[in-house]
Amino acid sequence: MGALAHYLERESIPTTQISLIYEHTEKIRPPRALWVPFELGRPLGVPENARFQKKVLQSVLELFEAEQGPVLAAFEEEAPASGSEKTAEADAWSCPVNFSPPRQEETDPEKRVSAFKREMAQLRPWYDQGLEKRGRTAMTDFDPETAEAILSNYLLGEHVEIPRKGLSLAVALRLAAQDLKSFYFEAASSRPGARAPDIREFAEWYWNQTAAGWILKEIQKKCADEQDKDLRLTGKMFLVPAGQNA
Amino acid sequence: MARLNQMAEPMRTHVADLPCPQFDTTPWTAGTKLSEQRVAIVSTAGLHKRGDRPFQGIEGDYRIIPGNTMANELVMTHVSTNFDRTGFQQDWNVVFPLDRLRELADEGIIGSVADYHYSFMGAADPSQMASHAENLAQLLKGDGVNAVLLVPV
Repeated sequence: MGALAHYLERESIPTTQISLIYEHTEKIRPPRALWVPFELGRPLGVPENARFQKKVLQSVLELFEAEQGPVLAAFEEEAPASGSEKTAEADAWSCPVNFSPPRQEETDPEKRVSAFKREMAQLRPWYDQGLEKRGRTAMTDFDPETAEAILSNYLLGEHVEIPRKGLSLAVALRLAAQDLKSFYFEAASSRPGARAPDIREFAEWYWNQTAAGWILKEIQKKCADEQDKDLRLTGKMFLVPAGQNA
Repeated sequence: MARLNQMAEPMRTHVADLPCPQFDTTPWTAGTKLSEQRVAIVSTAGLHKRGDRPFQGIEGDYRIIPGNTMANELVMTHVSTNFDRTGFQQDWNVVFPLDRLRELADEGIIGSVADYHYSFMGAADPSQMASHAENLAQLLKGDGVNAVLLVPV
């Protein structure tokens, strides 16, 4: 991020930036930066809070008024909880579907894939409801069934049909894995009157209690044995977050 | 939170060890006051319009996001799985604050919003982005942009 500021500013384009990692920005020394104490993935702080987002935005744009630099300022206010992630009662979040969690001792891939498909079928009405309510989905290239088929077929060693021209198997697996996670989050956030899971609740549920999480960890292991270096890299880096590896 | 010393391992080490490019000097182009700014967002979240080419590797290239893009048209294909995407799933403005910029312009707080915005994919090697950024600078000038807001993820 900071490097882009250097490149654009050299071309006489004034830049300002949000900084999520103070230590990095301190080293890179871009012309103007506002460090914020927010989670990675949330540079404006919090979803569904226009007032707070605008405060952050205005603070970072005001750095253009500095007469000299580099400027590395700090926005010290912590992000408030978002409207949909908190409730007055602070109830524990729970998934809208009570599917049986996969038996951890079950290692037969076909049975796990069957459990995965059942999960997706049960979550689908909630995903559809969320899509209707929000008017958008973060799923990118694939619909839920296509993402499911790409991941299941790869794991079971069956032919993987990639609907989009020009995508390698490695990229298709990564996009399908991202889309799958989006599908689960959007379905899990869609029960009327209930809040969305926060980041930690979602990660704990998704990676440790769903067949989907197990499938992705198995795909990660399978990729490690591939000849194709892109598949090995994808398995190592792009399917399962650090700290959630099998 | 993104305070390095409060992150859980192994994320803390992963983030701390990310290479940072070094520059001997910091270039400086004078900025303007809020009310005269024409603002473009340049994100590194790997964003693009649905149907545009997903980010496939670390080529350092960017995607163009027209200023009339709506929330349901913007998707994220950043390669990393290590940052939270649930905020973006709930509200695109937490990563790409285009609605907020439009509001600031409507309220007369900033001058205007650019016709085009852009996104790189931040896991790319910064040196690979350099030539693309030079090309981008010309597009920004053509759009009359005098204030680029860089937003990481």
